[in-house]
Amino acid sequence: MKPLLIALPKGRLEEELLPRLRGTAFELDARALKSRKLRIPMADPTMAAILLKGADLPRYVAGGVAALGVVGSDILDECPVDLMELADLNFGVCRLSLCAPDHTTLDQLRGKPHLRIATKFLGATGRWLRQEGITAELVPLQSSVELAPVLGLADAIVDLVQSGKTLLAHHLVELTTLGKASARLVACRGTYLSEPDLIGPLAKALAALLKAEPGR
Amino acid sequence: MPTHTPSFPDLLFEDAARLRRWEAQLMGHLDGAGYRELHPSLVMRNPVNPTTVRFFDGDQLVALRWDFTEALARTLVRRFQEPPRRISYAGPVFRRPANSWDPVERLEVGCEHIQTDPDQRAEADRELARLLMDVPGLLGLEGCLLHIGHAALLRRPMEVEGIPAELGLEVARVLDRRAIHRAAELLDGHPAKDRLLAHAEILLSGPDGPGSLADLVRGPYGALLEAEAEQLTRVLNLLSAQSPKGLTLRLDLGDLRGLAFYTGPTLRLWAPGAQRDLASGGRYDGLYPEMGRPWYAAGFCVRLTTLLELGDNTEGGK
Repeated sequence: MKPLLIALPKGRLEEELLPRLRGTAFELDARALKSRKLRIPMADPTMAAILLKGADLPRYVAGGVAALGVVGSDILDECPVDLMELADLNFGVCRLSLCAPDHTTLDQLRGKPHLRIATKFLGATGRWLRQEGITAELVPLQSSVELAPVLGLADAIVDLVQSGKTLLAHHLVELTTLGKASARLVACRGTYLSEPDLIGPLAKALAALLKAEPGR
Repeated sequence: MPTHTPSFPDLLFEDAARLRRWEAQLMGHLDGAGYRELHPSLVMRNPVNPTTVRFFDGDQLVALRWDFTEALARTLVRRFQEPPRRISYAGPVFRRPANSWDPVERLEVGCEHIQTDPDQRAEADRELARLLMDVPGLLGLEGCLLHIGHAALLRRPMEVEGIPAELGLEVARVLDRRAIHRAAELLDGHPAKDRLLAHAEILLSGPDGPGSLADLVRGPYGALLEAEAEQLTRVLNLLSAQSPKGLTLRLDLGDLRGLAFYTGPTLRLWAPGAQRDLASGGRYDGLYPEMGRPWYAAGFCVRLTTLLELGDNTEGGK
């Protein structure tokens, strides 16, 4: 019998997630984690984890490759896939904010005849601009977005802010918050609904575990 | 062609043969129950739905048939003063899917039961449920689940609480994803937020047996939804007694898909391993009155595209 796959995110959320799994049936094999393997056995041999970039993770779950997954709500809001979003796990919490160079105000940005906003979050930014009645050119970037206003590629950015230290280092300030993001437990709709006795209890156990503070 | 697109799948020999065999089996089943085939045109006019595949025929915007139920309704109200009672259909529909990799062209077989007397509705619902329960056996599928829900379970509390229609649809959309935390955000500041969330917790407690109905009756809208709870209990008891071997019936109070369309009991058939439902349907009493006819209707469609995806994993696929 093939192990049931659970998709876990690499990067920002991974650091907060892995300690919560230690000492449980979901604990990842330490040796495999240190290797370059992306498919990692779990303590319970009927399950295995696949480590994925956040942007790819919803596709694996929605397509039924992984039955469950953990992904940031910022990613979910950007990709229109049909998933079950079973729980807000309340970790990896950060703000999606409009940020601009020091001393810039929101009114100054509104007044610009050709406002350029660099972001990875095109969907959320577009929705906020429509809601605010602001016209802007969106500059799509995948990483190091803070450089865009510093180097003149854009007037402002929309990005995730957790501690604000990266903004500070680039002399940027938050002008407004577009929304909040946190880790979510997701499930494949087909698997969740067609095999409720298998996936339901597993999802409940994983949600309870991930919502708890590590070490408790 | 340099790229492969799954949106408009080509069916090669074996799959084409399976499709024809399943169509014949299901249409024969419906014919045996008195359902007569109606074949509405593949091209529909006035496509207001943005998910349709649209194009210009001269200076007129038209679309490929996006939904059999609507296509049938348009035909029936134009051509009949008194409706035919039992209709079946088979063929493709074209609609942009929720997931970009899912097919746009989908192959369906289905049926519709139309009533002019509201007292005939309960019997029609039972007839349709019995027909749908026979489908897994006809297709050689084992271990299927038939989920029974009810569209009024969320709609009526939201109407009573004065939730605006647009917000109500958004709440239904996130609850259909089981995302109760998102519903909490949407209802933030509304005086009925706590009541509605407590109710949503009951609805989303998971596909379950009659126990979830007891919770519903004890919940904040128990008195309001007493008739619906009784109806679901009756349907579940009746159908459980007739359920064929290999099919499990479950209540899924959280089945909120199509809330803008369905008005009563809903049915959704799942096959193990399928990423999409194999069949779905329910009661939609609002459709014909919107088109000027005082008729009541319910129906279901079987998604042969889902069955093809299951492929060799099923007896029916062999």
